Formats: sequence, structure tokens, C-alpha cells
Amino acid sequence: MMSLLELRNVSKRYGDFAAIDGLDLTINKGELRCLLGPNGAGKSTCMDLIVGRQRVSEGTVSLMGTDIAALSEHQIARKGVGRKFQIPSVFKELTVRQNLEVAFNRNKDPFLNMLSFKHFKGQKRYDEITDLIGLKDRSNTVSGLLSHGETQWLEIGLVLMQDPVLLLMDEPTAGMTEQETYKTSQIFNTLKGSHTLVVVEHDMSFVREIADVITVMHMGKLLAEGTITEIENNPQVRNVYLGTEGIH
Amino acid sequence: MSANIYHNRKAQWLAYIGLFCLLALVPALFDSPFLLNQLARYAVFAMLAVSVSLVWGYGGILSLGQGIAFGLAAYGMGMTMQMQFQDPVSDPVPSFMLTNDLSTLPLLWEPFWSTPIGLALTIAVPTIFFIGFGAMMFQARVAGVFVAIMTLAMLAAWYAMAYDMQPFTSGFNGISPPMPFEFAGVSIDPYSPTAYLICVGFLAALTLSAKLLMQSKFGLIVQAIRDDPERVRFLGYNVAYYQVIVFAISGFIAACGGLCWVMVVQYVSPTSLELTLSVSAVIWAAVGGRLSLLGAILGAYLVNGLQSYMGDELQDVWMIVLGSIFIGVVLFLPRGLVGLIEDALGYFTGKSETETSGVAIERAV
Repeated sequence: MMSLLELRNVSKRYGDFAAIDGLDLTINKGELRCLLGPNGAGKSTCMDLIVGRQRVSEGTVSLMGTDIAALSEHQIARKGVGRKFQIPSVFKELTVRQNLEVAFNRNKDPFLNMLSFKHFKGQKRYDEITDLIGLKDRSNTVSGLLSHGETQWLEIGLVLMQDPVLLLMDEPTAGMTEQETYKTSQIFNTLKGSHTLVVVEHDMSFVREIADVITVMHMGKLLAEGTITEIENNPQVRNVYLGTEGIH
Repeated sequence: MSANIYHNRKAQWLAYIGLFCLLALVPALFDSPFLLNQLARYAVFAMLAVSVSLVWGYGGILSLGQGIAFGLAAYGMGMTMQMQFQDPVSDPVPSFMLTNDLSTLPLLWEPFWSTPIGLALTIAVPTIFFIGFGAMMFQARVAGVFVAIMTLAMLAAWYAMAYDMQPFTSGFNGISPPMPFEFAGVSIDPYSPTAYLICVGFLAALTLSAKLLMQSKFGLIVQAIRDDPERVRFLGYNVAYYQVIVFAISGFIAACGGLCWVMVVQYVSPTSLELTLSVSAVIWAAVGGRLSLLGAILGAYLVNGLQSYMGDELQDVWMIVLGSIFIGVVLFLPRGLVGLIEDALGYFTGKSETETSGVAIERAV
């Protein structure tokens, strides 16, 4: 299998404290990887390093063989890395449709965009994605009026409209009801295979629903990697993260 | 249910064009030089309000420094008009310089011998300044209240400069060009319909261009940046680049206002760089509705009309009145007066929220 994203010996230090300490991580094309770990394990920092929101102190981050560690956020995004934030962020004053239009637009140059009045070219993709995230009949709703779950789905939709090669999802089910979480797991299972995803998540039933391979982080280091059964039976993981009762 | 007509693009354009036609008809209806001059001044204030609506309402950048562009352009225009009066041979140096011990014309003033170059500098200098100042702020990701503080400080610096450099700017007294602005051999009397129509023409051209711009993809992205710059950045857009451009365009509009201002008042002083003017412009836009260019124009006309016709006894406490209006609007009408119109039209022509998909609506006006 071809590796899409490779982190080699990556460290991120704040003074003496290492948030990420010599981390190696390989994500293959088409896989759905779950990133687990207790609070402060470095999951979000790891995502920040991949998307360029923070700079690595050491090591390399490469996407399809090219080093992206020195690029700025928008350049990395243009290379095909999409990110969903932990706190859902959408354009609250714009309608659902306008939100997705901004995300779909391939033309990033301001002056060319001044000359662009054409009606939206991505109708087909728009229909597919609004179907998938279930917001089809809410195109003209101002997104600030959406419920929390719908806002989460809209942001997933934004990232998908970008058509990224790699999707990073930071706690996509945070704050969702059980039904909403279930619907989200269905969305993710649809994406599996055609997209490469890295998902940070705490909700174990959700992880069980979607995960192929799980990576467990602890204190900025990689602790274990494997399938859900392997992770559940790993004594080290039980010690640092799950306590002695196992996963519930 | 049908859509709220307020969000209908065609209806919006009709409202804009209707307003400007109405304004253009004023000289035909009223034969009052005083009224025309007063309304020309309001048109200038409206330009300033449009610049605020664009940068703050659409771009989410709360700039308290729109007066920088306005004031710099006002000085440029004042210098151009002053030099139209001077004679290269018999009287090359403005009299205020002579009283300030300057016997030769400073290099800074030399280009203003030529009216076209003077006008070009009047517009170009503030716009280029806004590009540089904007690049400095937005590259460093300065946002929110810090933008307000930085623009405010910059405004204060320019004010102090205009005030202190008396030999060059005539300081507190300001420059009063002895003759009206002359262009292509025609003298433009500040109280004439011509001067009025130039101001309304500028206002209409700038507003309609800005409206068109905000309906383009560029406008949509600018509004997205207002709502969440980080999200836009991770969709692959260079956010600072967009912010600098929208900031510079707002500076350009404010500069056009400064140019027209000196044409209709025939006087420029540090007051155009005062904090009061820049903050007032923000209030005009907020009262009318910052999310609407048309609303900002209405706000500028209404608030200034109120100030002019409220009666003399209240002039002393005008700033208190203005402040109270602002607080009232912030508390009760966050979308300004046009928000009321939006709700009223929504009540009569249907709500947009439940509208069926397929028809794109224009939320911003």
C-alpha cells in the first residue's frame, strides 16, 4: 500500500515540555485511522502540525512524498489536506449553500474571484454532499440557525467540498446526541475507502463503529497501534488510558 | 412560501438605482444653493459610511481609521486647489507658508502644480498607505479589537502630524484655497448643482461597484472571512491577501470622499483627521445597518440630517445624543434600521429560512 502521509521523528517542544516527542506515523491511502489518547496526549497538536497551524520543532511531515512542514496553512490546504476543527466552525452569517460554495471554489486568487459571478459550478458535488450530510432541504438556511449536530455535519461537508486527499477530523461527534453520532458514523463509513481519514475521537462506541486501525498516543509518543481488539487487549493501553475495566 | 423580497438580488439593485435617481433629481426639484451644498456634504459622509460598511459589515474589520484616507485625500485636494490659485512666477508660495518662514515651496508641494497629478496623488497616496498598513496588520494576523486600536493610533499620529507641521499644512488653521476647484477650464462652485451632482455621481459609482464586488465570489469569501478567518484559511485561501484588498478598497472609497469634501467646503483642516469623524462614520453605518451599503448611506443621511435640523439648543450635547443613538442601535437593532425593513418585508412577502432549495438568495444588501 502506498503511504499518503508520513510523520518521521516529529517533535514539538514548548520550552522544556515536549507536546509531541519523536512521533512516527504513517497513514496509507484509503484508510480510516483513529487517533486515541487521554487529554494532553498530543492528538490535536499532532493535527496542528500536519496542517501547518503550528511548526514542528524537529522531524519531517511529508504528504505524498513532498515535505510540507515549512508550508503555510493555505498552501497545505491547497495540497489537499482538509481539517475539521474540534469546535465546529462554519460561516454563521452565510447560508448553507454559500458555506459550501466558498469551500468548493477552486480559484483562490482574489482578483480572479472579483470577476466571477457565475452560478455555482459544483452543483453535482453539492447535491452528493448535501445528501450525505443530510442538509439538502436546508440550502438557504443561515448556518447560524442550525443545531449543533447539523453544524458539525456542515463543517464535515465543507471539508468534503474541498475534495481533499486527506481528511483530518478532530472530535467530529463532540456534543452530539446518540442518534446524531450514529448518523455521523454512517457518513464516515460511506467515506471509507474513497477517502483517507484521520479521526480523533473519545467516543468508544463511535470508534468501534468506524475504525480499521487505531493509534494510541500517550505523552506525545506513540503507545500502540492495531485493530480495536488488539488495542482493547493491550496491557499498556489499559494502564495509561482505560483503567483496568477495559473499554466501555 | 415565497422568498423575502429583501433578499432578492433584482429588488436590491432596483432599490439602489432608485435611491440614486432620487438623489440626482434633487437639483431639478429644489432651487436652493444652500440645500444643495448641504446635501453634497451628506453624500460625502455617505461615502465614508459605505467604506465602513464594506470593511466592517462585510469584511469584519472594525477600522476606526477610515478618517486617515479621508483626511489624507482632503489635504491632497486642498493642496491641489491651493496651487491652482498660485502663480509660478509672481506668487509661487502660499501665503501661510510665508508667515511660517518658508520662502520657497517645499518639495512635497511641487507635484501639486499640476491638477491631474495632484488629483492622482490625492487618491493614490491614501490607497497605497492602506495597502501598506493593511499588509502590516493582516500579515501579523491582527484581528478584532486590536485592529480598532491600531487604526485609532495611526489616525492619532496623522492628526498630530497635520497639526504640528504648520509650515507645510498650516496646522490648526487649515488650508483655505481662495478659489473653487477648477477642472478642464470649468470652475466648480461648491454651491452649484454641478458640485452636488459630482458628489452624488461619486457616491453612486462607488456604491454600485462595491455592491457588484460583494456579489462576486470575492465578496462571498470576504464575508466568510468575517465569520471565521481560520476556517477560510484551511480551505486554502490566503486570508491576509483578501483582507488587505478589502481594506484598501475601503480606503479608496474614503479617499474619494475626502476629495469631494474639500471640493464642496473649500477648506481643509486637521478636523478631517479627528477621531470624531472616524467614529461618527462607524455610527452612521451601524445606525443604518452595516451589513447593507444602502443602509450605511441612509444612516449617514439620517444622522447628519438629525444633527442639522435638531435645533440649536441640542448642538452642545450632540455627542451625547449620537452616543445614545449608537447604544440604542447596538442593543435593540443590531442590523440597524434596514433590519427593521428586512423584518417588515419578510412579514409581508414570506420568510427565507424555510424556502425551497435551488434559488440562491442574497443575504447581504
